Amino acid sequence: MDDLTREFLIESQEGLDRMERCLTELETRPEDAALLGDIFRSVHTIKGTTGFLGFKRLEKLAHAGENLLGLLREGKLIADRVLITGLLHLLDGLRSILKTIEADEAEGSGNDAELIAELESLQSPAPQSAGKKSPAASKPKVPRARRAKLVSPPSSDVPPPNQERVEDKRETEPRIKAPDERRVSERTIETPIAKAKPAVASTGAAESTLRVDIVLLNRMMNLVGELVLTRNQVLQATAADPRMTMLSRRLDMVTADLRESVMKARMQPVSNIFSKLPRIMRDLSQVLGRRVRLEVEGQDTELDKSLLEAIKDPLTHAVRNSLDHGIEPPDVRVAAGKDPEGTLKLRALQEGSHVIIEVLDDGAGIDVEKVRRKAIERGVISSERAAQTSERELLQLIFLPGFSTAAAVTNVSGRGVGMDVVRTNVEKIGGKVEIDSRVGKGTTLRLRIPLTLAIIPALIVRSLGQNFALPQGSLSELVHVPAEEAAKAIEWIEGAPLYRLRGNLLPLVFLGHLLKAANQDAEPEQDNFVAVLDVDGRRFGLVVDGLADPEEIVVKPLSAVLKSIGLYSGATVLGNAELALILDPGAIASKVGVTITTREEEAGSADGQESGRAEEQVEYLLIEVAGRRAAVLLDDVLRIEQLPLSRIEYIGNRPVLNFEGNLMPVEDSGDLIGAVHEISRDAKIIVVVCREGNRHVGIAVSQVLDVAVGSELFESGTQHRAEGVTLLKDRVTGVVGLRLVPPLPALESSTGEWNQIEEVMA
Amino acid sequence: MSIAQVLQKTEKGSSLLEVCSVRLGQTWFGLPIEHILEIVGGSRPQPVPLAPEFVGGLFHYRGDVLTTVSLRQLLGLPPKNGPQDILVLESTSGCFGLLVDLVGEVLTVSSTNYEPNPSTLDQRRKTLFDGAYKLKDKLLVMLDPELLDPMRLSQHPAS
Repeated sequence: MDDLTREFLIESQEGLDRMERCLTELETRPEDAALLGDIFRSVHTIKGTTGFLGFKRLEKLAHAGENLLGLLREGKLIADRVLITGLLHLLDGLRSILKTIEADEAEGSGNDAELIAELESLQSPAPQSAGKKSPAASKPKVPRARRAKLVSPPSSDVPPPNQERVEDKRETEPRIKAPDERRVSERTIETPIAKAKPAVASTGAAESTLRVDIVLLNRMMNLVGELVLTRNQVLQATAADPRMTMLSRRLDMVTADLRESVMKARMQPVSNIFSKLPRIMRDLSQVLGRRVRLEVEGQDTELDKSLLEAIKDPLTHAVRNSLDHGIEPPDVRVAAGKDPEGTLKLRALQEGSHVIIEVLDDGAGIDVEKVRRKAIERGVISSERAAQTSERELLQLIFLPGFSTAAAVTNVSGRGVGMDVVRTNVEKIGGKVEIDSRVGKGTTLRLRIPLTLAIIPALIVRSLGQNFALPQGSLSELVHVPAEEAAKAIEWIEGAPLYRLRGNLLPLVFLGHLLKAANQDAEPEQDNFVAVLDVDGRRFGLVVDGLADPEEIVVKPLSAVLKSIGLYSGATVLGNAELALILDPGAIASKVGVTITTREEEAGSADGQESGRAEEQVEYLLIEVAGRRAAVLLDDVLRIEQLPLSRIEYIGNRPVLNFEGNLMPVEDSGDLIGAVHEISRDAKIIVVVCREGNRHVGIAVSQVLDVAVGSELFESGTQHRAEGVTLLKDRVTGVVGLRLVPPLPALESSTGEWNQIEEVMA
Repeated sequence: MSIAQVLQKTEKGSSLLEVCSVRLGQTWFGLPIEHILEIVGGSRPQPVPLAPEFVGGLFHYRGDVLTTVSLRQLLGLPPKNGPQDILVLESTSGCFGLLVDLVGEVLTVSSTNYEPNPSTLDQRRKTLFDGAYKLKDKLLVMLDPELLDPMRLSQHPAS
């Protein structure tokens, strides 16, 4: 295929995408001249270029469409539902020819006579008056001001600024031109070259952007991945050499910047996939007889191009589901006292290193009882278990393959495949799916998508004398079981190892046993580490021999032979240049048969409280300082260090900790340092390193006791929430006020660097 | 056929072939050099638990993680301790490594010295070997990189 044709295909497809967007918008604003102008230009450009390239079939069809659009633009026709359907047919026709050209470099021998006849018949205004007035068609009669209030359009006329990168030059052409052009009769379109001129004219914005081949971007991403690896190795190799430290820090910063830039270059706004949905919704709501309004929020949230592609199908499935099972037909809605027009809301937002995409509908919701009955009927859970399981967890069952509560299978959905597909696709890219639903109120489907695919934070664990990378996403906590306690702490039920985690039994999986296949000989007495994993509610502990540092790893694909083992999701090169296999927690859970466990632990501790209040459960680290119990918010805790007393230094009489050249104040309210000092100069002290704002604060403690869920306390009578205290394990416990730790004067300038280190470690 | 081969084509109808010789135990094997991308010496591939027996582990090659096929394990020989040499081979489904004891020199062999597999060879070896060249002091058993591809080996397990 020559460059010219390829260019033409890309441009035309972009034009048609835009046309599709505009057409669905046109339904709500049929008189919008700018929209009509845009649609006209898309078809017109195709027609102009196609004549030049010699695609006669395409030209003929585009010509027919252009005639119709010309009339629309002159205001001789009003864009009603029938007409828009016709135009959507035109769009599909053009798309299918473009597809044929892309595949065979020829436009094929299909017959478009029927479509052209349809377009021509639409040119006479008869069908509009004869056709039944649909609700959408009657909308133009509503005065402009009221309409604006009634309908919030999915997007404004101006595309999100980020889109300009991929949009072609014509996008930057001033839109005000459209109404002017209206005066020119479009009946005589025999001068396509003259008309096409403004389209080709480049503007400033077009010159500052350029199209880049995705293959090149992928390669750049790969190379940056390599650089990250090399950086990790350099950082480890130079840690001991102060002369090199400065240089490697700088390398670290540049690498981080470069990585971010390349990642940014691959980012595209979610509007690219959101814009496909109005059309699907329109078609579906007609088939299903629903009335649905689409609301879109956060369209300019950006996501990696490959991830965007990956969530296109799940999102379409979700929208289908919402329309078919969620939003009720208008009469049912009216009977239920709701607005006959349902609302489907798409919301995208960035949350840390994830992008959240929500599909909200105000439909019938999912009947949890129905799910419960179905689950028991299908033997997914026992009836005793079902009675204990919370509604929220029961809802997650609908993601199981073949699980459908639909009474009838329609051709849109109900086969029980949809939600399973949604979850599989989203998990494939390291994302998560959650569902929330209230009967009669609606359903919310939440997709959590990582910002990037290639680089993920992972904890390096050791087993069988080998390194493995455990993705942090499903890791909830780590428990150390010392060798002398192993026999007592790990309990067995007929060969199944279990661990009591805060009073609840957690099934254990010994990674060493799992990987050695049949070989089940007794473990020698040694230290064990339990990585508590949570894979969509399936909780289990993975027992490993040792832990190394967390690292940002670059995911390398494995060959098909090794992928088929089913336990590894990839491999990576560690900072010390060793290779490590990346474990797939989901696959491990499936392999050993861990099923969804109810989180009794949370339910259990909330039992004693008035359930109404204890909705938000906060976890605390329970510490002991000189005989007193205190608590620190678990979210604030970065790490716990045990270090020799000699590491503590003083500024004036304030103890500080020098950590890789950065100072951190150590709060020592119990004068532990003094007490320990009296015992021995070499004694060790435990410091809990916490995050407070963007600085780090150390707290000297005698002992770290446990992690527990705290409950809020309320003043008797006033019911005011008590500040600074919480109920932990049935005892009122003070929460350490990290904010009250005075800052160090010298800390100010180094806080920025701290953040960076933290990012690397996180 | 490489240019060298064409040039070396003799009038007698015999052709010359350049092969890289590798040693495994006491046997010398040969692989046509045009399929060899690189030779990585003294490497210790990372073992992969639960992998098929013929997999010799993983190793890092120019930004990619490649699967290696251990010729020893493929032929049912006892594993060798210590570093081994890896030939990076290219096959139709991608690159992979071949783990051998030692990589020798590149030899030029003539088709006149070629003999097909002997009929007494066991079935497993018959499917893997591609005949042999008679050299002055030894035999060079030919291997076909396509047949050693891990993808192919896993589909047609050599029993």
